[in-house]
Amino acid sequence: MKRENGSHRLASILDSEKWSGVSIPILSIVLSLVTASVMLLILGKNPLVAFLSFLQGSGFVPKGSYGGGSGMLTDFFTFLNVLAPMLLASLGFIVAFRAGLFNIGISGQMMAAGFLATALIGYSGLDAWLAKPLVILIGMIAGGLLGAFVGFLKYRFNIHEVVSTIMLNYIISYLTGFFINTKFADSLTRSMKICSPASRLTWMNLQIGGVKCNVPLGIVLAIAAAFAVKFLFDKTVFGFELRAVGRNPVCAKYTGIKVGRRIVVSLMLSGMLAGLAGVTYYCGYYNTIVPKSLCSMGYDAIAVALLGNSSPIGCIFASILITIFQNGSNYMSSTLGVAKEIASLITGILLLFSACGGYFRYLAHRRLETALDREAAAQKAAQAPAAETSAAQPPEASDGRTSSEKEEQ
Amino acid sequence: MENVLIDGLSFAAPLFIMAMGGIYSEKSGVTNLAVEGFQGFGAFIGALVAVLLMPSMGDGSQAVIYIAMLAAAVGGGVYACIHGLLCVKFRANQVISGVVVNILAVALTTFLTSAVNKALTGGQSSNKFILGVSSRFTVPGISRIPVLGALFRDMYPFEIIIAVIAVAVWYLMYKTRFGMRLRACGENPQAVDAAGGNVDRTRFLAVMISGALSGVGGICYAYSISANFSPNSYMGYGYLAIAAMIFGNWNIPSTAAVCLFFGLAKSGGYQLCLSMGLSSNYSDLFMMLPYILTLLLLTFFSKKNHPPKAAGEAYDAGKR
Repeated sequence: MKRENGSHRLASILDSEKWSGVSIPILSIVLSLVTASVMLLILGKNPLVAFLSFLQGSGFVPKGSYGGGSGMLTDFFTFLNVLAPMLLASLGFIVAFRAGLFNIGISGQMMAAGFLATALIGYSGLDAWLAKPLVILIGMIAGGLLGAFVGFLKYRFNIHEVVSTIMLNYIISYLTGFFINTKFADSLTRSMKICSPASRLTWMNLQIGGVKCNVPLGIVLAIAAAFAVKFLFDKTVFGFELRAVGRNPVCAKYTGIKVGRRIVVSLMLSGMLAGLAGVTYYCGYYNTIVPKSLCSMGYDAIAVALLGNSSPIGCIFASILITIFQNGSNYMSSTLGVAKEIASLITGILLLFSACGGYFRYLAHRRLETALDREAAAQKAAQAPAAETSAAQPPEASDGRTSSEKEEQ
Repeated sequence: MENVLIDGLSFAAPLFIMAMGGIYSEKSGVTNLAVEGFQGFGAFIGALVAVLLMPSMGDGSQAVIYIAMLAAAVGGGVYACIHGLLCVKFRANQVISGVVVNILAVALTTFLTSAVNKALTGGQSSNKFILGVSSRFTVPGISRIPVLGALFRDMYPFEIIIAVIAVAVWYLMYKTRFGMRLRACGENPQAVDAAGGNVDRTRFLAVMISGALSGVGGICYAYSISANFSPNSYMGYGYLAIAAMIFGNWNIPSTAAVCLFFGLAKSGGYQLCLSMGLSSNYSDLFMMLPYILTLLLLTFFSKKNHPPKAAGEAYDAGKR
């Protein structure tokens, strides 16, 4: 009986309007951590040590030993360097997703923004106070234009955004690859020449607390962007209209919302955030572009958005979690000897469970409803002996009750 | 010119079978962005079987290829169950499910490839399965026809297999009761339910067929163009197949034409680059050709497209 109460409470937490946005992702995380633990156990490793080393690799928990000049803060700032583009990219995804659009082209938009910013500003020799804002501006413009183009194709020619963004990903990848190989290639590494420290969005090797840290500017932008997106959706008419278009475009059209324009603008905003992610990735964390290899972050961002329940604040937490796995995988791999690909595998499993989130809620909902039915039936059964005519009803109801109770035990 | 046709066809055939996989799933009402993941996982299983068999059957043995193709079909079909479960049973968003399945496929196969390699070689972990290249053959007689005869020269055996599968698959979809039910599930699932069909089961089967077909496409690429299986096998051809499907208006014969067009554009661009004597850097520009052409042509044809009406929604018996 006690156990039934527990699962009943769990079901009501999962189904409640207020908590399901938090409880269902947490359930997905717990389930995927359990799955990952099982996998690690099969491989003969201690899952707890593995998870600890993910955290150590990301600078949340001190490691056993550090190289000269580096420390926990070094790792933590590296983690922030990866976190910033991840968060921005996932915000880019949800801006379009809330309006019912799938921006699969985040990787391409990131690359285009990073390439243009590096090519135009990265080698210019401008001062830092001018170069950094320009890099950000160019990234946003490049991404925004690409996004708007996708929106225009959808609105004017009815081309599904998934197809056009995929095509654009390839076009961008080959086009930038061509220019990098012919014009901007570093003769040694064959990737794009690095951009100047003045235009780079990460301050390298700053001394903080006696250790060298790479301090990213992007993380400030990313957190600010998260709150800006939250404000946009929660407090502005425009955000409301975007959500209306996402929920039901036909209905939105009848209420007088210009659906076509909203589509273009939401994809443009999405592209701008992706462009911002691109410059923080390619001109901040990474500082170079390997030709013709789109980063997987554009797809991981979808995972983050999904796990974060497509809410901006949820995205902050989800991106922290996924970045811990991605960023900590190197250290985990070196300490435990498990291939670091397991990090992407955990992300994949996490995604799988998150995608089932709706089903978990449905199950919880159904459970609550059967519980309600049972209660009603029990009440009826209690009242029934008074009424003579309902001879068939009570045994049936009480029978149902006992059998389901047996199920519980 | 001849090389354009030969290479074009050998690129188009696997693309076509993947696109058919996409058609099966979407015609039954399940949006399928997961073709990329299906083909990758199918190719992984095929390559795994090939690598395991090669020592006992000899490296050059062509029989390995056919067994690998069969394994790839099974592997793709089984892996597609994830997409089927998510979309049909768990009612997840189908586009998201597709993306999830793709990400998981890349992660899973990369991880498993290095794990298996480590186990096979004893310590050395490489993320590649080295495969051979399928042998080619020339059809005697027809291949002497000027120009078009090149289509029958230096063929991979899988091109014939794919052609046979294509006919069978077309027959299954348009001439059998199952095929009719399948198409009806994508247009009006309520009607299928009323007529006594099982919508969920039909859709699930369709997704599995989709996975099997895509898996065959994946192993064909692994055995011809790349000659190995590695994370680089995810070259995005699955997405290209989806574009071909949409461009071909979810119709098998027109999708075949589109795939051929993609293949010819790709090999044509490459040969053009070679014949103009440009450096290899310029080949990148020509590689963009199929994608730009797709976008351009879609602007003309997209308005007339008729995607399956019920695609993208889980079947809800209570809905009107």
